[in-house]
Amino acid sequence: MATIVDITEEQALKVKNFEFTYAGSDEPNIKKLTMPIAKHSITALIGPSGCGKTTLLRSFNRMHDLYPANRYSGEIIFKDRNILTKNEDLIKLRTQIGMIFQKPTAFPMSIFDNVAYGLRLQGVKNKTELQDRVEKALQDAAIWQEAKDRLKHDANGLSGGQQQRLCIARAIAVEPEVLLFDEPTSALDPISTAGIEELIVGLKERVSIIIVTHNMQQAARVSDYTGFMYLGELVELSPTEELFVTPKERLTEEYITGKFG
Amino acid sequence: MTYTQKRVIANSIVMALSTLSALIGIGFLLWILSILIINGVDALSMTIFLEEGAPPGNESGGLKHALIGQLMLVGYASAFGVPLGIMAGTYLSEYGLKSKLSETIRDISDIMMSAPSIVIGAFVYAIVVAPSGQFSGWAGSIALMIIMLPIILRTTDDMLQLVPSTLREAAFALGTPKYKVITQVVYRGAKAGILTGVMLGVARVAGETAPLLFTSFNDNFLNTDMSQPMASLTVTMYNYATSPYEDWQKLGWAAAFILSMFILTLNILGRLFLLKRKGK
Amino acid sequence: MSSIIDKIFANATKFIAIGVLLLVAWIFSVLFEHSLKSIEAFGFSFLTETKWAPNLEKFGALPAIYGSVVSTFLAMILAVPIAIGIAIFLSEIAHAKIKTPVGVSIELLAAIPSVVYGMWGLFYFVPIIRDMFGGIGISMLTAGIVLSIMILPFMAAVTRDAMNTTPDILKESAYALGGTKWDVIKDIIIPYAKAGIIGSFILALGRAIGETMAVTFVMGNVHKISTDLTQPATSIPVTLANEFAEADSELYFSSLFELSLLLLVISFTIISIAKFYFLRRKRTGQ
Ligand SMILES: Nc1ncnc2c1ncn2[C@@H]1O[C@H](COP(=O)(O)OP(=O)(O)OP(=O)(O)O)[C@@H](O)[C@H]1O
Ligand SMILES: [Mg+2]
Repeated sequence: MATIVDITEEQALKVKNFEFTYAGSDEPNIKKLTMPIAKHSITALIGPSGCGKTTLLRSFNRMHDLYPANRYSGEIIFKDRNILTKNEDLIKLRTQIGMIFQKPTAFPMSIFDNVAYGLRLQGVKNKTELQDRVEKALQDAAIWQEAKDRLKHDANGLSGGQQQRLCIARAIAVEPEVLLFDEPTSALDPISTAGIEELIVGLKERVSIIIVTHNMQQAARVSDYTGFMYLGELVELSPTEELFVTPKERLTEEYITGKFG
Repeated sequence: MTYTQKRVIANSIVMALSTLSALIGIGFLLWILSILIINGVDALSMTIFLEEGAPPGNESGGLKHALIGQLMLVGYASAFGVPLGIMAGTYLSEYGLKSKLSETIRDISDIMMSAPSIVIGAFVYAIVVAPSGQFSGWAGSIALMIIMLPIILRTTDDMLQLVPSTLREAAFALGTPKYKVITQVVYRGAKAGILTGVMLGVARVAGETAPLLFTSFNDNFLNTDMSQPMASLTVTMYNYATSPYEDWQKLGWAAAFILSMFILTLNILGRLFLLKRKGK
Repeated sequence: MSSIIDKIFANATKFIAIGVLLLVAWIFSVLFEHSLKSIEAFGFSFLTETKWAPNLEKFGALPAIYGSVVSTFLAMILAVPIAIGIAIFLSEIAHAKIKTPVGVSIELLAAIPSVVYGMWGLFYFVPIIRDMFGGIGISMLTAGIVLSIMILPFMAAVTRDAMNTTPDILKESAYALGGTKWDVIKDIIIPYAKAGIIGSFILALGRAIGETMAVTFVMGNVHKISTDLTQPATSIPVTLANEFAEADSELYFSSLFELSLLLLVISFTIISIAKFYFLRRKRTGQ
């Protein structure tokens, strides 16, 4: 039986009995999963490869709907509604729940246009407003100094770490309430990684964050809560320190002490 | 209306237009395909394979002359084009890999693959037909061979490059001479790919008409002498289709059908070979 | 012993590979050499003269050039939007279940010989044009339409391939910001695959301009420049296909060779632009 901590503070998201099956998969890839996500805090998801971390993460912004024939059931409650219903407005949902990917994904356009992209999609046309909000996002993502003199340059000219911060700037520019990170530093060097981690911690005052990571030190460094997943199930969700120091589940302990996987 | 609503509407419009244009395009192509099948099957009969051309009007003509001519033209073209193409491709991949020479040959071959085939016909006319004073099967085969060469060359080159270099190194480590490594190890590894390239190359030249118009020309009767003008399915198809006689036009459709099926079969087989290779 | 075979093998392959290069040079030089008479006789006016009269030994290529340009242009403006539509449909709209069969059918249709398209055009499309626009139905317009249908499968397939090179993760990033399919196509896929898409169009153009059989059936081979698209016309390959086997004088032949050379140079140029400027093949080994 899973150990899931009671989160007394406000919750950004509530996953209830969520089950997910990929097209072509015989059995559910996520099984009856229930999990609270605390507001204005960082929740890390860890677990061995293939346990379903990415799958769960991509359910929060309904990314799976881009590909046909994936099946899911259960509920994910966000702002008092179940976002898994048919009539959920996915465009709006995705502006409220942003996502950062494993690799930097700078669009084939200028640095400025990259950050302005989400704003423009929302219909922001006013030049000064765009400029202000782009600048603020770049500052919040700690890349303003490096980018300010080359806003009109192609974003692909930036380094990997810079591009990832650009993607964070792009995501926060539209002022989402939740940010999803899928192994955001797995393609980066240690220095860029440290920069991104610092940035993520700084963001939690404004957004609730879920971060998938393979790096247990990273989970320990940045997160407030950590969930350990195994074979499509949430085995344990605890405050991060507790999970790493006094895990309640045998499986968790074996995983964090490196006894399997 | 908010900007997002506008975006959603624009999206629906574009999706509808794309689907519509796909339907139009696919509709046209299905139309052509069904015409080909209906007319072709309708015109098929045993006489087609047993009889040579006949004067129009007596319904007794067949395509035997064109079928055999076609086989000979494509056969001879392949008999020379395939080995030459494979040899040249072997040089590019195994000896010249990144050299300037190899890159130039690759570039020129790429261009030649899309160059107008009728121009090759003119070239062969100048070097073969004009000096010998007559149209001939050889001239047609040479034209087809020239068209085939760059296709075989480039697929061989690509397919050989896919063979992992560890395989070569393992063979070299045993002291095997290079030509043996290539012929016994590398070719074996790239067999399916090269075969696919050959099939696609043959399929491509089998459908060529323009370069045969004034090289192998045509003959309404069976001729197996390569130094004489020779019938081909494609030129026969052209001549019969543009004739005013209904029975000839019918034979034209039969030729179109037989040829298209042959080419489609080669293409499908070629794909299956490649798939099988990837599956491994 | 085997070292001798080794040398022979290496040199034989090299010899043949270089042979391919020399062959192309030879093609150019033979065509040029055979064009000399016409070049001497007409000079530059060959390209600007509108009269093509074999019985008078007067050869002007402008009608054929005009026909090539106009028919290819018609084919391109008809085929490009539909090819883009099909490519979008195949890469972004169609479900996996129909994506593969439709995609493969389109690729296979690109393999059907163009003489079949020409034959279909003659028997089934010419009557439609005749009924719609009067005249004999054999016309520049018919040629443009048949040509557009003939290049459509190739164009759609390569455009789709170019669009498919866009990494999924890049598209997903735009969806994750609330983009619609169309937003993703126009803001991400098209800018990302721009060079590939334009390159494939130019490549299709290069092929269309040299295409012979699809148009020979339906164009008429009339050496006359007319702005009325429903009139018969000619193009460079159509002229060659119709007249090469029948030419009866040296100057006539030479003019046809000059046309061939012209066509080869034009296609070579267009295809080179597509290949080297837009579709730069990754250098081997990189
Ligand atoms: N598109 C897909 N179609 C079918 N099955 C999939 C697909 N993507 C993932 N899976 C399967 O779903 C399970 C969960 O995959 P998921 O990507 O969520 O794992 P993960 O925990 O993120 O692993 P990793 O740490 O390697 O990223 C795996 O068994 C995987 O094989
Ligand atoms: Mg993952």
